[in-house]
Amino acid sequence: MTFSSISRLSKALAGSAIAASAMFMVPAPAQAAGDLLVAPTRIVLDGQRGTEIILNNIGAETATYRISLELRRMSKEGRLTAVTPEEANQIEQAAKAMIRYAPRRVTLPPNQPQAIRIGVRAPQDLPDGEYRVHMLFRAIPKAKSVTEQTNPEGGFSIALTPIYGVTIPVIVRQGNLQATAGIANGRIEEDKEGKSFAFDLSRSGDRSTYGEIRVTKPGLDEPLLVARGIAVYPEVSSRKVALPIPNEIAEQLKGPVSIEYYEPRNSGGGLIAKTQMVLR
Amino acid sequence: MSKFIKAAVASSILAASVMGAGAAQAATASADATANILEQVTVTSDGSDLAFGTIVTGTAASTVAVASDGTATCGTGLVCTGTTSSAGFDVTGTTGETVDVSADATVTLTNPDGDDMTASLSPSVSTIVLDGTDGFAVGGTLNVAANQADGLYEGTFSVTVDYQ
Repeated sequence: MTFSSISRLSKALAGSAIAASAMFMVPAPAQAAGDLLVAPTRIVLDGQRGTEIILNNIGAETATYRISLELRRMSKEGRLTAVTPEEANQIEQAAKAMIRYAPRRVTLPPNQPQAIRIGVRAPQDLPDGEYRVHMLFRAIPKAKSVTEQTNPEGGFSIALTPIYGVTIPVIVRQGNLQATAGIANGRIEEDKEGKSFAFDLSRSGDRSTYGEIRVTKPGLDEPLLVARGIAVYPEVSSRKVALPIPNEIAEQLKGPVSIEYYEPRNSGGGLIAKTQMVLR
Repeated sequence: MSKFIKAAVASSILAASVMGAGAAQAATASADATANILEQVTVTSDGSDLAFGTIVTGTAASTVAVASDGTATCGTGLVCTGTTSSAGFDVTGTTGETVDVSADATVTLTNPDGDDMTASLSPSVSTIVLDGTDGFAVGGTLNVAANQADGLYEGTFSVTVDYQ
């Protein structure tokens, strides 16, 4: 929650070429802005009641944000991959059609929060099931000023502007839905990003599971590893979960461990699944 | 009596602050005090941008790669000098919460004459379990054509922090 690290985003790069067959690049500013705060980070809409999401401009400059609904599908690897409107299936199209929200574009001075109202208007004959969209919040880059567009004579310049944002899931549940989960195949993996503790999280039923993973070791009071916000969505029956871990935790995990999957505390905190295994 | 309770409930918002100061006589009236505590996420630039430094082109196509730690690898036939950096972002949220990081795989940079260049992008991490000091970097590889044409090349790339 440190706000001290907030920094104005600017610059990318620019340059100028000199000789006929040579290009010469030097950094120069390209505008961007869009530091942001979003709360909450997950929404489940039951019935017709709506809610609000807070968007705050925590940057140093006025910024314009666009709020949009995106479709994402969970992969076997546990990643949320983008789904284009053409690829969307019936459930995804229905989800996008029933979510109402406003405003969709907002200009905020620094440290000015804005509530985004969100609700659901489900059609009468909506089949039971879980419907989901991912709400994307991100800043619209500012138009560049004329001076910045001026190109050095006979020159070459380049400006790369990052547009960064946050997506949160918005879930609508229709009917009485059930799901169970299972944990298997715990292992320690290593790739270029470092070590991770990985396992397969399976799911059956007609809704997603969501909650907190705790990895405990016999004889230790505190869990060695806690990761909240782990979901398995209905489009997959099993996903890989890979949690980055430092080397010392990787060493400590070796041997017998217990992996538990709990519901979030605000929805009861019940145990969803638990497995004991020996890690090598 | 019922009137008194109604009045007490109606004034409970005011009473709440007084009760905090020790006005215990209001305890006979029950009132709901609600505060909706929301979990939040912030994403901020850490001030460094994806910069490929100063490059002098050669007569053959080549690449300049900037790793997520900001160090550059200069392709064959190019001369690279100047400061390079990767784009850096800070993420804050509830400790223990898991977030995924995704970035556009490639970005196309175009100049007003329609010439273009591409850069491939790679975030330093794909998943973060938040511990209060979190961030990630985005490096990339710029594909420089032989005798790359003049002009202002512009491009945008998107980076998102995804909650499951």
